[in-house]
Amino acid sequence: MNTHISPAIIMRIKEFGESDLLITFFTSDRGRLKGVAKGARRSKRRFANCLDLFCLTSLEYELKRKGDLHFLHSGKLIDAFPGLRSDFSSLSLASYMVELTEILFPLGVADNKMFELLKNSFFAIDKGKKKDLLRIQFEARAMALGGYGIDFDKCCSCGRTYTGEGRAVFKRSKGGIACLKCQQESKLSPGLDHDTVKGLKTIQSSLWSEVEALNFSDEMIREIKSVLKLHVEYRIGRRLKSAEYLD
Amino acid sequence: MGIYPTSLENLIEQFTRLPGIGQKSATRMALFVLRSNKELAEGMAKSLIEVKEKIRFCSICFNLTDDECCSICRDESRADGTICVVEGPGDQLALEESGTFKGRYHVLHGVLSPLDGIGPEDLKVGALLSRIDREGVREVILATNPTTEGETTASFLANLLSQKNKDLKITRIALGVPMGGDLKYMDRMTLEHALRSRILICS
Ligand SMILES: [Zn+2]
Ligand SMILES: [Zn+2]
Repeated sequence: MNTHISPAIIMRIKEFGESDLLITFFTSDRGRLKGVAKGARRSKRRFANCLDLFCLTSLEYELKRKGDLHFLHSGKLIDAFPGLRSDFSSLSLASYMVELTEILFPLGVADNKMFELLKNSFFAIDKGKKKDLLRIQFEARAMALGGYGIDFDKCCSCGRTYTGEGRAVFKRSKGGIACLKCQQESKLSPGLDHDTVKGLKTIQSSLWSEVEALNFSDEMIREIKSVLKLHVEYRIGRRLKSAEYLD
Repeated sequence: MGIYPTSLENLIEQFTRLPGIGQKSATRMALFVLRSNKELAEGMAKSLIEVKEKIRFCSICFNLTDDECCSICRDESRADGTICVVEGPGDQLALEESGTFKGRYHVLHGVLSPLDGIGPEDLKVGALLSRIDREGVREVILATNPTTEGETTASFLANLLSQKNKDLKITRIALGVPMGGDLKYMDRMTLEHALRSRILICS
């Protein structure tokens, strides 16, 4: 096994042995991995400040002979996202994104689009972009990349094609939408305006740059937020730990 | 089943539960205890129990103590009016050993960490706020570690404290190039901090 270099986002750090660190990191080309940084707590030379939580780092690593643990050789800081530590709500949002990524992408499952999503989201938090919007953009796209995209094409009850006109109702048990004839709007089945459906559909399937160019009204954000909260909790089966500190 | 008699295996197993102790070190330690006289084992056992029974948090600063208040809070020769906020007892000890700071401390017992489910209410923040009013504090030094979570905790406290008390001086320990450091091996963030917080030598 040869050494390999990938850009990676540091997801978790744990003290390991007397002077080592156990790092969970998300790479662009090999997914989420675990590795040991030998002596990283004693000497900062090989890892000059690049193993701090949520940093973007160029990591040099190789797979250990046994198991799925990697051996971290060195690292170089690419970006530390200082804006992410400027307040608790920023750290909480970043934590939520990492926690959702961990659930959707098991160890070793690579998805470059997911890596780009996480990285771009961190850049956006760092720049102080609106957190409500960043949260829904991340959630919707991450769920879709993880295989839990919401189906907006037809009514999940009668099968009628959704033409993009009129309101639709989200049905969490189906992970899709229903027409107003089949389902009434309620707290557990929130309604969506046709513009909101269009926006959410675009977030699910488009690259960050395209989504960034879109305009979302506060009403759209509110509608999407309540749909995604239900959708994520239903598919994941629980509330995420870090979700408690959002809003 | 291990290769040693059961009671020795048990001791090795107990030692491996300590942080940073692997099977090898644990075996070495257990064999050392076995070879030593009985007083060593008795002394160790007694200290282990005592530390669990007697050590508690200081009712004022939450430092470790075996009294109601820790020795620093009891020390009348120390300056009132300045509180240095640290993450844990280890950090407090390190600062104390440097011998520079003569004020009071406040131990948070952790940092904000949403990933681990640790929020403001899990740290000794409320007690810090009431101390500032009660003790007539003029300056709070935020000495959490310069990690992502330590920095966030410092920002959070700075926000909270400045909102509560407009006249309070809030400072942060300096970040930058460490003593004996080498610029070639420094990361961008550290160098940025070091340059931004440079000090005037002569003008
Ligand atoms: Zn229908
Ligand atoms: Zn005390």
